[in-house]
Amino acid sequence: MKKRLGIISLLVLLFIAFITIWNFSYQQGLEEAYIPVEEGVSKYSLPSESGVFKRSEYAVEYKNMPVDENHQRLLKDYYKNRAYHGAPPSIPHPVEEMNLGDNTCLKCHQNGGFVNKYKAYAPVTPHPEMINCRQCHVAQNSNTLFKAANIAQVQAPKVGVNNALIDTPPMIPHQIQMRENCLSCHAGPAAPKEIRVTHPERVNCRQCHVPTDRVISEIAPFSRTKTDSNE
Amino acid sequence: MYNSISSRRNFIKKMAQLSAMTAAAAMFPGIIFASEQEEGIPNSANLDWKKGPCRFCGVGCGILVGTENGKAVAVKGDPNCSVNKGLLCVKGYHQTMCIQSKDRLTHALVKKNGRYVKTPLNEALDIVADKMKSTIEAHGKDAVAMYTSGQSTIPEGYVASKLMKGAIGTNNLECNARLCMASAVAGFLTTFGADEPMGCYEDIDHADYFITWGNNMAEMHPVLFSRMLEQKTNRGAKIIDFATRTSRSSTASDKSILFEPQTDLAVANAICYEIINNGWVNKSFVEKHCNFSKGLTNMGYGTEDKYSFKDKPEKIDFEAFKTFLNDYTPEKVAKYSKVSAKDIKYLASIYGDPNKKVVSYWCMGVNQHTRGTWMNNLIYNMHLLTGKISQPGNGPFSLTGQPSACGTAREVGTFTHKLPKGVVMNEKHRRLAAKIWKVPYERIPSKPTYHTTEMFRAVDRGDIKFIWTQVTNPLVSLPKTSRYRPAMEKDSCFVVVSDVFPTPTSDVADVILPASWHIEKGGLYGNSERRTQHWDKMVEGPGETTPDAWMTIEVAKRMGYGDLFPYSEENHVEEIYNEYRQFHEGAKHGMAPLEVLKKESGVIWPYVDGKSTQWRFNAKYDPACKEGSDFDFYGKPDGKAVIWQRPYEPAAEAPDAEYPFWLNTGRVIEHWHTGSMTRRIPVLHKAMPEAYIEFHPDDAKALGIRDNENVKVSSRRGSCVLPASINKRGLPTRGQVFVPFFDENMMINDVTLDAFCPISKEPDFKKCAVKVEKA
Repeated sequence: MKKRLGIISLLVLLFIAFITIWNFSYQQGLEEAYIPVEEGVSKYSLPSESGVFKRSEYAVEYKNMPVDENHQRLLKDYYKNRAYHGAPPSIPHPVEEMNLGDNTCLKCHQNGGFVNKYKAYAPVTPHPEMINCRQCHVAQNSNTLFKAANIAQVQAPKVGVNNALIDTPPMIPHQIQMRENCLSCHAGPAAPKEIRVTHPERVNCRQCHVPTDRVISEIAPFSRTKTDSNE
Repeated sequence: MYNSISSRRNFIKKMAQLSAMTAAAAMFPGIIFASEQEEGIPNSANLDWKKGPCRFCGVGCGILVGTENGKAVAVKGDPNCSVNKGLLCVKGYHQTMCIQSKDRLTHALVKKNGRYVKTPLNEALDIVADKMKSTIEAHGKDAVAMYTSGQSTIPEGYVASKLMKGAIGTNNLECNARLCMASAVAGFLTTFGADEPMGCYEDIDHADYFITWGNNMAEMHPVLFSRMLEQKTNRGAKIIDFATRTSRSSTASDKSILFEPQTDLAVANAICYEIINNGWVNKSFVEKHCNFSKGLTNMGYGTEDKYSFKDKPEKIDFEAFKTFLNDYTPEKVAKYSKVSAKDIKYLASIYGDPNKKVVSYWCMGVNQHTRGTWMNNLIYNMHLLTGKISQPGNGPFSLTGQPSACGTAREVGTFTHKLPKGVVMNEKHRRLAAKIWKVPYERIPSKPTYHTTEMFRAVDRGDIKFIWTQVTNPLVSLPKTSRYRPAMEKDSCFVVVSDVFPTPTSDVADVILPASWHIEKGGLYGNSERRTQHWDKMVEGPGETTPDAWMTIEVAKRMGYGDLFPYSEENHVEEIYNEYRQFHEGAKHGMAPLEVLKKESGVIWPYVDGKSTQWRFNAKYDPACKEGSDFDFYGKPDGKAVIWQRPYEPAAEAPDAEYPFWLNTGRVIEHWHTGSMTRRIPVLHKAMPEAYIEFHPDDAKALGIRDNENVKVSSRRGSCVLPASINKRGLPTRGQVFVPFFDENMMINDVTLDAFCPISKEPDFKKCAVKVEKA
């Protein structure tokens, strides 16, 4: 009897020890899996400079190109196939499914040009190096909705109101990530007429036009770490 | 001449009716004419447009400022100015917006018991004059100093020089141009005997190749870079960027060549080796117009107090020069410069091709260099050996940083060794100054005192007991501010600061004087291409703000020098300019009369018989050349330019095991120098709110540093915490980090080294050793 009691208490002890150790290692495992949010990361992020000068070689051509009044794109059409401003545009024309990863889209969208079938100029992509187009750009194959929804809409930036002073070059009122190359949307026959630049040949756009829109955080005015010396 | 345009809308319609759309677009780039694009632009009423130069960089763009009801409300590029032809950069377009800043210094502030007390300007000027006088009485003339700026106007620089050198009789006058252009000046004087570029901006329209040496023109001289890009797209001119960091300029160039910091000296010599070795030397030009010399080597770096150095030039011959270059074959240099021998040969072939016109551009990369004078000499060597100089589209062109580094700092001469014409060491020059200033000749001392770095060291040592700074912010812009900030805080030195806004320098002042901003006063600037530019006062400044020149004059009067400063408050700019012009009379430096400057958007000197001299030293264009000569480098007594033998020597401080990275500092397009103006312009601040530290992605990965994460960068002198920036504005080479210096809240100059070029005394802000760690 004593022997059996001894064995039972030993097993109980072992069991308790097991639970304790298992619990401890489980907690340890949890902690290791947790990535702390690090403090001190700056809020601001400068836009990348890659691709800024990418389409410069077409600049003079764009400058000399006469405007095709009958086939101009309007800004409202530009925004029509975007869920919100800055969203990747959906594909407004029929496409075949089996061309993923090849250059089917680039044939028209790398350099643009008039497409007789749609009586329109093909818009030029600002990032031709990304060829998995339909990762972000999808066709709109139906006009119906699964369920109606109340989707909050942010108003797209307006034209002509982005100047800090009369006559000064307008600031860039939108994010430019993946759209660092200004000429692809602001020059050429596919550029919406309201935002088509009069001087594409200048090329170094950010010499005069700097970003102002900060979707992520509002930038506070400059302040000195020392207090003002004015009383 | 610039009458009001009654309404922009009407004006544009009229232009359209004349079907002058293309012409108009060329006149006002940036304006969009389609009516859809016009929507929302405020209908400006009766704007009055006045001309002037831009406040910011050494390019010297012409601007038109639109005023309405006494307020500046618009800025545009002056289409009549040949510098920029109507174009500006983002700083230029928004410059007037800083005037209204809430923390504008509107009244004099005097420190009493540790607090700043608003004081009537007259009383504050009394205090300044009394303190200056009593300091001189107690400690001698050399105990007081003035530190001015390459952004001071010509009249401001002139009265400062007259007060210090002519009235008081001390050479304790320096300016911040020592930090940017001194090596360029020393380069010009040693090679040509005459300061400032021989060519002009029109070279851009003629050159086949632009080679930029350590120079990010797309951000620092944006309008000139735009002119180069125009030639690239229209004519196929080529831009080659030779630098230590991939910048916006590198991406826009046809070719980007990267080199290891400090080895530009070796690469330039290797190019000369190739030019000689391949028989590309323009023999008749070199024989007729060049001498060969060598100077002292192993000069040191000036990091110790009271360091002094004087070069000993010694004539050599072509053969000796050729032998010297044998150490610099492309293959040998490729080993330590990290530039391939192929790229060196490619560069040499451009300089060497007699059918290709080449302009070399450089600015701070070459000047802020412990061998900055040598580097300037070496660039001239390449152009002299090939005879590609002083011709349209062919020539070395040293770009200036500040709007009047040429006009004021170099031409008026606000350096310790300078006079408005010549140097204090020269008796003839002292006699001329004394005559025009109407002071006894003996009063102007013949020995230079402190160059900039040494001046602030003297403040630290207690040798200088009074310093007055104008139009500059040294406690952000000096190297090694970790030493000079505590120095300026010491009670041993009385500090007077004239400025428009509070800065870290005004924080240590005993008296703060409220200065007028650019268009709140009249003045003259002189840009990189020897162009003198005049503007009239356009708006009233707030409170008791006063032009710096007038405050200097008021102090001079209070010190008893009134008879030397007989100028009137309303017309002092004009009166001072007319007096100053006498210094430069003659074909070599004649300056245009004020009536001409008021009409034109700047005029290039030498201005002879109503004509500007665009290419100096070339008899075809320059009337000062000897009769019968083709080229005449008349700065030197024998009319010959000097090709200098200058070796490669290592940097003052290079990366090692403890401090493994090079630190490079510089600017960004959005901010002007220490940001005291541009950070108060919302457009610019929002585009570039704070400084950052750029890494090469491989270095960042090795250190485990993510984008935007705070990083502590430290050197043997100090440290600074900044957010990391990876693959954004610029891309430094591996083993190098880059930090812009505009941010007074992230003081990178606490980290930099105060080593300087022994000849020019210009510090090297581009190279020191640092370590980085996560903050």
